[in-house]
Amino acid sequence: MKPRALLLTSLLSLPLAGCGGNGRTPLLVYTPHGRDLMLLFEAEFERANPSIDLRFLDMGSQEVYDRVRSEQANPQGDVWFGGPDAIFARAAAEGLLAPYRPSWADAIPKASQAEGDLYFGTFRTLPVLVYQEKLVPADQVPADWDDLFAERFRGRVLIRDPIASGVMRTLFSYQLARSLETTGGLDAGWTWLGRLDAATKEYVANPALLFEKLVRGEGVVTAWELTDILLQRAQGSPLGYRFAASGTPVIDDSIALIEGAPHRAAAVAFVEFAGSADALRLAAERAFRIPARTDLPPETLPDWARDVLARMVPADYDEGLAASKAQEWMGQWDRTVRGRGAPAGGG
Amino acid sequence: MSRFPSLGRWAVVALLAWLIGYPLAVTFAAALASPAGFGAAFAEFARRADEWTALGRSLWISTATVALAAVVGVPLAFLFARAEFPGRKWLGELVALPVALPPLVGVIAFLYLWGESGVGTRLVARALGLAGAPWRLSGQGAILVVHAYSMYVYFYLFTRAALARFDGALLEAAAALGAGPVRRFFRVTLPALRPALAAAAVLTFLTALGSFSAPYLFGGSYRVMTTQILASKQNGDVDLAEVETAVLTLLAVAGLLVARRLESGAAPARQRGVPPARRASRSRLAAWALGAAGWLLALALLAPHLTLLLMSLVPRATWTTELLPPVLGLANWGQLGRGAGALVPVGNSLWMAVAATVGALVLGFVAARTAARRDRAGRAAELLIGLPWAVPATAFAVALATTWSVDRPWQGRFLLVGTAALLPLAYLIRCLPSTGRATLAGLAQLDPGLEEAARSLGASKLRTLWRVTVPVLRPALAAGAMLAFLAAFGDFVLSIVLYTFDTRPISIEILSSLRLQETGLAAVYGVILTALSAAAFLLLGRERER
Repeated sequence: MKPRALLLTSLLSLPLAGCGGNGRTPLLVYTPHGRDLMLLFEAEFERANPSIDLRFLDMGSQEVYDRVRSEQANPQGDVWFGGPDAIFARAAAEGLLAPYRPSWADAIPKASQAEGDLYFGTFRTLPVLVYQEKLVPADQVPADWDDLFAERFRGRVLIRDPIASGVMRTLFSYQLARSLETTGGLDAGWTWLGRLDAATKEYVANPALLFEKLVRGEGVVTAWELTDILLQRAQGSPLGYRFAASGTPVIDDSIALIEGAPHRAAAVAFVEFAGSADALRLAAERAFRIPARTDLPPETLPDWARDVLARMVPADYDEGLAASKAQEWMGQWDRTVRGRGAPAGGG
Repeated sequence: MSRFPSLGRWAVVALLAWLIGYPLAVTFAAALASPAGFGAAFAEFARRADEWTALGRSLWISTATVALAAVVGVPLAFLFARAEFPGRKWLGELVALPVALPPLVGVIAFLYLWGESGVGTRLVARALGLAGAPWRLSGQGAILVVHAYSMYVYFYLFTRAALARFDGALLEAAAALGAGPVRRFFRVTLPALRPALAAAAVLTFLTALGSFSAPYLFGGSYRVMTTQILASKQNGDVDLAEVETAVLTLLAVAGLLVARRLESGAAPARQRGVPPARRASRSRLAAWALGAAGWLLALALLAPHLTLLLMSLVPRATWTTELLPPVLGLANWGQLGRGAGALVPVGNSLWMAVAATVGALVLGFVAARTAARRDRAGRAAELLIGLPWAVPATAFAVALATTWSVDRPWQGRFLLVGTAALLPLAYLIRCLPSTGRATLAGLAQLDPGLEEAARSLGASKLRTLWRVTVPVLRPALAAGAMLAFLAAFGDFVLSIVLYTFDTRPISIEILSSLRLQETGLAAVYGVILTALSAAAFLLLGRERER
C-alpha cells in the first residue's frame, strides 16, 4: 500500500507547484510562430508593458482556426498571431475576427490588408527551393520550380502534405493560376502538378519530419518557406535553398484580434507592438522573419534580409483568384492527382 | 423492493445520457440545421468514390488489425499462462508494455526505429549488405504492423486474465472422458475464453477504427476515414468533414451492436477454479531456450521504447546519415530546467489523468451496477457505457466543445469551454467504457450470495459494498483503472481540441516540440510519458494479479 499512497500524494501535489497568479493581465496569444520568435517577443513586450502577462499557445494555423471557431461562444484567446492570410480570410468570413486598424497599417501594402481591417500582414513568407547540401552537388542545385521534377531528382523529391500546408497550397494554386493566365485554361497547371506527383517519393505529414527526412537523406529536394530553412541552417542542418528564377509567390503572414477577446486592451497593445519597427527589426535580426512593412529603411535590416529582398523576384499572378479557388483546386488535386503517378507508392 | 431503487437507477441512466448522449445529440442536431446543408454535403459524400474507398479501407484495416492482434496476443497469453520457464513472471509483464506507449509517441518511435532511415532499418540493411533500406514504412502494411504491435496487448491481457480464472478441472474431466488435446481446446478452453476474446476484439476493432496517428504518419496516400476527415477539414470543407464524422460514428456504433450480439451469446464466465498447472519443459535446455526466446521477444517489443530513450539523448541536428548517433548527451533533458514552465505539462497530465480515472471508476461502478440487472434501465445504461468507445475521439471532442460552449442551464448546458474542468471531464467520459465494462465483467462473476450473506448478518449497505463487493471486484476495478489511466494520460486527440493554457498536457507539448523541430525534446517528454504509464501499468498490474 505504501508506494501507492506515496505516488498518489506526489501526483496530487504536483499541479499546485505550477500555479500562482501575479496580478498582471493575462494576454493569451494563439500562434504558429515558434519559441524562437515568441520568447523574444514575450520578453520585449512585457518589458514595455509590465502590467501584462503574455502567454502564448503554440499550434499550427489550422489548429488556431479550429480553436477560435470552437471557442466562438466563449473566446479564450485574445490575439491570433501568424499563419497565411488565406486561413485568416476563412476566419474573417465567419465573423471570428474583430476589426482593428493598427497605427502601422499604412506602411503595409494594400494587398496585405483585409477588408474591414480584420487582419494585417506582419511578415512575408517566401517559398523557396530546398536541397540537401551534402547530397546535391553544386552544379545540380534546383534553379526553378520545374526542376523539382527534373530527371536527376526523380523519386527523391519529398513534399509536405499540401492539403495541410499553407505554403504548399499557395505554391500549387500559383501553378494553376499561372496556367489560367498564360494559356487560358487549367490543363497546363494540372499537367505540372501531375508531373510533380510522379516525381514525389512521399507526402510528409509535417515540416519537422520533412526536415528530418531530408537531413537523413531519404530525399534530397523539396519546396518550403525560407524562415524555417534559415533556422535549420543556423542549427547546423545541411539544407541549402534557392529562390525560383521564375518568381516567388509571396505569402502574407498575418495578425488579428479575436472577436470577443477577453482582454481587448492588452490585445491591442500586442498588435501595435508586433507591427512596430522595433519588433520587426528584432524578428529579422534574431528569428529570420522578413517584415511586411515597406517603410523600414533597408539599412536598419540585417544583411541576410537585405540580401534576400535584393535577390528574390516576387511572382506576378492573380493572388485573389488563386486564394478564392484554392479550396476547390486542392480538393480536386487530392482526389485526382495525389499518388496517381508516384514511382513508389506505399506498399 | 420499494420504487426508489428503480428511480435511482433511472437517475443514473439520465446522468449517463446527459454526459455522453446529449453532446452527440446536440452536435448532430446542429449539423442537420446547418444552412448550406447537411443534406447537400451528404449527397456529395455519397457521390464520391474516394469517400467510399476510405470507408472500405477503414473497415478493412480494423478487421485485419483484430485478426493480427489476436494471432500475436492469444498464443502469447497461452505461453505465459501455461508454460513455466526462467524469467516468466517478469517477461509476462514486459511483453504487455507496448500498452504503455501512447499512440502518438509510439508511432514516432516506430518511425525512428523502422522508418526508411530508422536505426533498426539501417542495422538490418547493413547486416544484409544492402545499399538502401530493405522496406519503406508506408501504406496499409505499415499501418497494420503498427496497429498489431500496439493492440495485441488487449488480446494478451484479456486472454491471460480469462486463463487465470479458468477451471483446470474441466480439462481433466474432458480428458478423462476421452477428449484429445485438440478437441479439449476447441470444445472446452475456447468456449470459456469467448467472452474475453469478444471483449478484446471489440476494443481492438473500435480502437483501430478510430486510430489516427498511425494512418496520419504512415498512411501516405492510403486514406482511411480518420485521415479523410482531417483532410476535408484542412481543405475548408467543414460540412463534408461533419458528414464523414457522422458516417464513421455510425459505423462504430454498428460494430458495437454486432459485438453485443456476439457477447450476449457467450456463456457467463462465472467460473472459480484452479487453473491447470503450468507445465515446465521436460529438459532444462528447452526451458532455457524458451526463456532466451522470451527475452529476445521482449527486447523486440521494447525496441520502440529504447529508441525513444536514444532519441532523447541525441543533441539537435547531430544525427544525420550515420548508422548510430555520433553524439549522445543530456542537452535535451537539460531543457526541462529552462524556466518554470517546462514541467508544468507533466503535472497537468498527471492530475487530470488521476482525477479522470478516479471519476471514471466511481461513475463506472455506479453505471455497471445499474447495467448489471437486465431490465430496460440496465440495457440503456450498458449501451451508454459503451458509446464513448464507439464515437471517434475527435468527433467526441468537438461534440463536447460545442455542447459546453454556452451557458444555458435550462437546457442542461453549462459554460465549460476554456475552463480547466472540460479536459479532465472529457478524459473521464472517454475512460468510462474501460472502467464500466471491467466492473460489469467483474459483477458477472460475483456470487450474489456473498452480498446477501453480508446483509443478512447485519452489515449496512455501505459496509457490504466496502467490505464485500469492492474487495471481490478489486482485480476487475484495477484492470479498468489501468486502461482508463493509460488512455487519459497518453491522449492527444481529445486534448488538442479541449486544452487550455492551464491544462496543457504532455502530449500537446510533444506535438508542439515536433512542430518546432525539437525532436529531442519531444522524445524527452515521450520518455516521461511512457515511463509514468509503465509505472502505472505495473503498479495496477500487481493489483490485477491478486
